[in-house]
Amino acid sequence: MADFASAPQSIGVAGGGLMGRLMAWQLLRRGHRVTVFDAGPASGEQSAAFVAAAMLAPYSEAVTSGAELFAMSRNALAGWKALLQQLGENSAHPVQLNDAGSVVVAHELDRANLSHFSRKLRAAVGDDGNVQSLDRAGIEALEPELPHSFRQGLWLAGEGCLDNRALLVALHDAIVAGGGVWQPNCPVQSVVAGEIQTAQAIEKFDWVLDCRGLGSKPDWPEVRGVRGEILWVEAPEVKLSRPVRLMHPRYHLYITPKPGNLYVVGATEIESESQTPVTVRSELELLSALYSVHSGFAEAHIVNSFARCRPALTNNLPQIRVRDGLIQINGLYRHGYLLAPTVLESALGAFEGQQELAFVTELASFACRAGSHG
Amino acid sequence: MSDTWTLYGATFNSRLLIGSALYPSPQVMSDAIAASGAEIITVGLRRQSPEEAGGQSLWTHIQKLNKTLLPNTAGCHSVKEAVTLAQMSREMFETDWIKLEVIGDDYNLQPDPIATVEAAEKLTGLGFKVFPYCTDDLVICQRLRDVGCEVLMPWGSPIGTGRGLMNPYNLQTIRERIPDMPLIVDAGIGKPSHAVMALELGYDGILLNTAVAQANEPVRMAEAFRHALLAGRSACLAGAMPERQTASPSTPTLGMPFWHQS
Repeated sequence: MADFASAPQSIGVAGGGLMGRLMAWQLLRRGHRVTVFDAGPASGEQSAAFVAAAMLAPYSEAVTSGAELFAMSRNALAGWKALLQQLGENSAHPVQLNDAGSVVVAHELDRANLSHFSRKLRAAVGDDGNVQSLDRAGIEALEPELPHSFRQGLWLAGEGCLDNRALLVALHDAIVAGGGVWQPNCPVQSVVAGEIQTAQAIEKFDWVLDCRGLGSKPDWPEVRGVRGEILWVEAPEVKLSRPVRLMHPRYHLYITPKPGNLYVVGATEIESESQTPVTVRSELELLSALYSVHSGFAEAHIVNSFARCRPALTNNLPQIRVRDGLIQINGLYRHGYLLAPTVLESALGAFEGQQELAFVTELASFACRAGSHG
Repeated sequence: MSDTWTLYGATFNSRLLIGSALYPSPQVMSDAIAASGAEIITVGLRRQSPEEAGGQSLWTHIQKLNKTLLPNTAGCHSVKEAVTLAQMSREMFETDWIKLEVIGDDYNLQPDPIATVEAAEKLTGLGFKVFPYCTDDLVICQRLRDVGCEVLMPWGSPIGTGRGLMNPYNLQTIRERIPDMPLIVDAGIGKPSHAVMALELGYDGILLNTAVAQANEPVRMAEAFRHALLAGRSACLAGAMPERQTASPSTPTLGMPFWHQS
């Protein structure tokens, strides 16, 4: 095993979204030879990772996904700080991380949704100093521009968000600078152990990593897409310092500040694999929620709208399937950035032959790996 | 003891119809539905790009549960939308059952009673077996019956509110005046006790979604509802004692001195 982990391997990565990039970069740092195949351009525009708000919200997400997710994600902020520090050694492209917590508010008519959120949150995370109730004065102290009509809220310290577009660029730079080969606009048709098939050729490697998200469906039928619609607005009149969540009877709506007066507003959650453009109804719902949070959004510019599918598995948790010559990572669902540090650590550990790792399922042929590659 | 009921000629044991939305994951949904004992599952299509079968992954997952499917027209605001979606559902799920839902007010998702009657008439004409979601208004229920519905589903309270039976008097009136049709309380059920009340009133079943899907522990709540339906149904069959204005002692007061008896 030790021989295996230290001997340089040739590795093909299918899919250059968040996990594909992180894995490629880390494996290059460990001295392996890496080639990344991605269906889209180097900016990552086609991936769910590009569109996501990249919130690191272990508390808010625990409300739906429960204690298990919380245990795996509570240290997401610290995990990302360590990764970004490392990334600074390999790329000059700066990536901002906002760790100012997040604020949850509700309009008076939807107050019951806030108290339900709060109850489920406490059931999932227990008594936690990072969860604090806010009154009107408390909301004003954190986000002075929120309207006076919000009288109750929550402050979730220990949450934050990443500048994900900058991150994707920095990871691409680090991979190329580290000697990795990047094959853009090169969709992968299928993967098997040691082989990646593209439209042009079958490429052979010691190891293949499948990080295609919904693109893996032909090889992993349980993967399903959950459609999310998201808007980017440019709002110079608005100053919010941290992600704001608005309780809504049907969605988890959030407004996430990004560099350059940009706010990412999302997201719908529809059990559909349609990638067609955002619907009128979804856009109306997102925009009316947005305007109700801050009237300064009235003259904001809608600079982009996207619909993408989050790759999910039946339990809505990630899974890393490991067999000889092939590691498949999928199912990060709406928790890509939140869970990435944990999934990355597990997948790298699995690659190096460690046992008892979060989210890892070892398949039958795995046992003979050391023999064939050692 | 067998105590079955019949909906459009099909016989069921469980008196719970359960929705397939809002669960933390498809896995939790499957587990909760199994724990609930429900034999009928409602499925919504409207927002899932049915024209390109966008929701196929989840629908396949639901079909594997091997239950009777009741597609719904949730999210429709007009007769035309509802009829079109019903036809798509019939093709997709190979069933002529349809839960008819035509929304009149977007905020509390209150059904539009007039459009519901109109759509029900059209759909029964097209051979559908219609399960209309309606308000607790006797005359609307009668109209729906008159246009060919063989099941009625008045609300307990608006969808997702969990307020239970807001107007038991209305629900009771409908039960008394329409004694021979299956009646289902649809929407507003928040707690198992609400389900018990509905069945004690003589309703044949309940339809719910949020109460289970959004509980802290959906699977455990589903089980609680299974017990509630059994309790409510037994109570209805057993015949409850009438309520009285004053307490009536269950032991004789003969031996009590008269000055202690007021």
